Amino acid sequence: MPAATRLGMVPDLGRWSAALSTILLLGAAPAPETPPHHPAKSGIDYASDDVRRMQADDFANPGMLWVAQGGKRWQEPAGNSGKSCAACHGDAAKAMKGVAARYPGVDAATSELLNLEGRINRCRKDQQAAEPLAYESEDLLALTAYVAHQSRGQPLQVSVDAAARPYFARGREIYYRRQGQMNLACTHCHEQNVGRKLLADTISEGHGNAYPIYRLEWQSAGSLHRRLRACYFGVRAEMPAAGSAELLDLELYLAWRARGLPVETPGVRR
Amino acid sequence: MAEAIVSVPATARRGEIIELKALVRHPMETGFRYTQRGERVPRNIVTQFVCSYDGAEILRATLHPAITANPLLVFNAVATVSGEIEFRWTGDNGFSVSEIATIVVN
Amino acid sequence: MAFMMGSRKRAVAGGVMLLSAAACATVSDNLVPYQISGDEIRAPLAALAGDAARGRDVLMGRDGNCLLCHAVPETGARFMGNLGPPLSGVGARLSAGQLRLRIVDPGRLNAESIMPSYYRMEGLARVAGVWQGKPVLTAQQIEDTVAYLQTLR
Repeated sequence: MPAATRLGMVPDLGRWSAALSTILLLGAAPAPETPPHHPAKSGIDYASDDVRRMQADDFANPGMLWVAQGGKRWQEPAGNSGKSCAACHGDAAKAMKGVAARYPGVDAATSELLNLEGRINRCRKDQQAAEPLAYESEDLLALTAYVAHQSRGQPLQVSVDAAARPYFARGREIYYRRQGQMNLACTHCHEQNVGRKLLADTISEGHGNAYPIYRLEWQSAGSLHRRLRACYFGVRAEMPAAGSAELLDLELYLAWRARGLPVETPGVRR
Repeated sequence: MAEAIVSVPATARRGEIIELKALVRHPMETGFRYTQRGERVPRNIVTQFVCSYDGAEILRATLHPAITANPLLVFNAVATVSGEIEFRWTGDNGFSVSEIATIVVN
Repeated sequence: MAFMMGSRKRAVAGGVMLLSAAACATVSDNLVPYQISGDEIRAPLAALAGDAARGRDVLMGRDGNCLLCHAVPETGARFMGNLGPPLSGVGARLSAGQLRLRIVDPGRLNAESIMPSYYRMEGLARVAGVWQGKPVLTAQQIEDTVAYLQTLR
């Protein structure tokens, strides 16, 4: 995105916002600006040494339990079609490599924005004639973790072309919107106060490149939407449902902010 | 859920010290927590882990509340013969999971 | 920034908007009215007396949660945030009235502030159901917190 890089030479947030308003008013679709933290730094770089070691060792990383589970689900026939994921896609290590780095993305057939969870459920409906898996269910987390894991190390490179632009613009709007009784926007912590302490936690840039993650607080794997809902809860705002359009739009915007960061799935966080 | 993942070297020399790893999926509810309505959340933990090598028990661990959810156990053994290494976890509510890995010793 | 504009609307007595905040009365449902003079709310909310010991509890506990962002070494707490300035000696730097306004509605003094307003209900968006129609802290809790902060000298 060379144009984005040029625009990004202006670090001043106020002018950046002014440029944003102009874009929204004109409804035009020039390349987006570069956020202040660029290149991006992964959340793992803000984690403690023990959490880093836990993520780095596939055996100490409990998220691998979900990856292993997803590997089993990948091979199992599902729905009326009796087809497994593998029946169409074959070896996930080859077929799925790099896929997660491009999600969320706009589905060409329907113009809908789909994240990896949405793509898996779309595949179940269209290809397997199977019921969708509930958001945050063990099976959907496992399949998502397994598919995303095949892209571990690949740089995020989500598309924000014309088809994705309306979703992207809404996601950006959400990022800068104050909300809840605490009256805070994402930007206040994850852009303006990165590296500072919120009680004992170091505030990160808030990237989603390691999801689904194993979070020690949850004692479980969880989706990005679950984590985003926790932030909404924290600022005492109404929480959109996991898988809702609002969180998808935000996920796309976050993925764009995180571009270039390697997929870490399954990440480990406190 | 993949109930467990284990790691055993595929091959080893006789007499070699090998590292065994065993990770199991379990919520490990302590039994000390209460719901918002004041009801105690029943304990649900893994109580015992046993590792057998070629039919002989080589490690037994008794687990208690407050160890960890999804416990990982890492320990060593001496490679003696080719055969199966079995890992078995048992716990509350009839929890029972086992995984078997094979090792070739030469 | 655009997202802050809505929060600047105020009900102002006499229909005069005094942006430099010389003096104005703010009224909102379920909140006791208060007078802003300069950068202070001089009179205690609802004429309540504050209790410093209770104020320490508010500051350290879940209601105020002040340590999330502010260091107050006097509390002896193990973990303290640093998003906001440390509050050591704040009782010597600021008057009770200044402290009161900074808790009640810090956005009055700095629209860009990340500090929530602890005694304000209007101008907020998408507040979760359980928190709707109530300020973060009660008038009594604010007076108690002001009393505690005044002891930090």
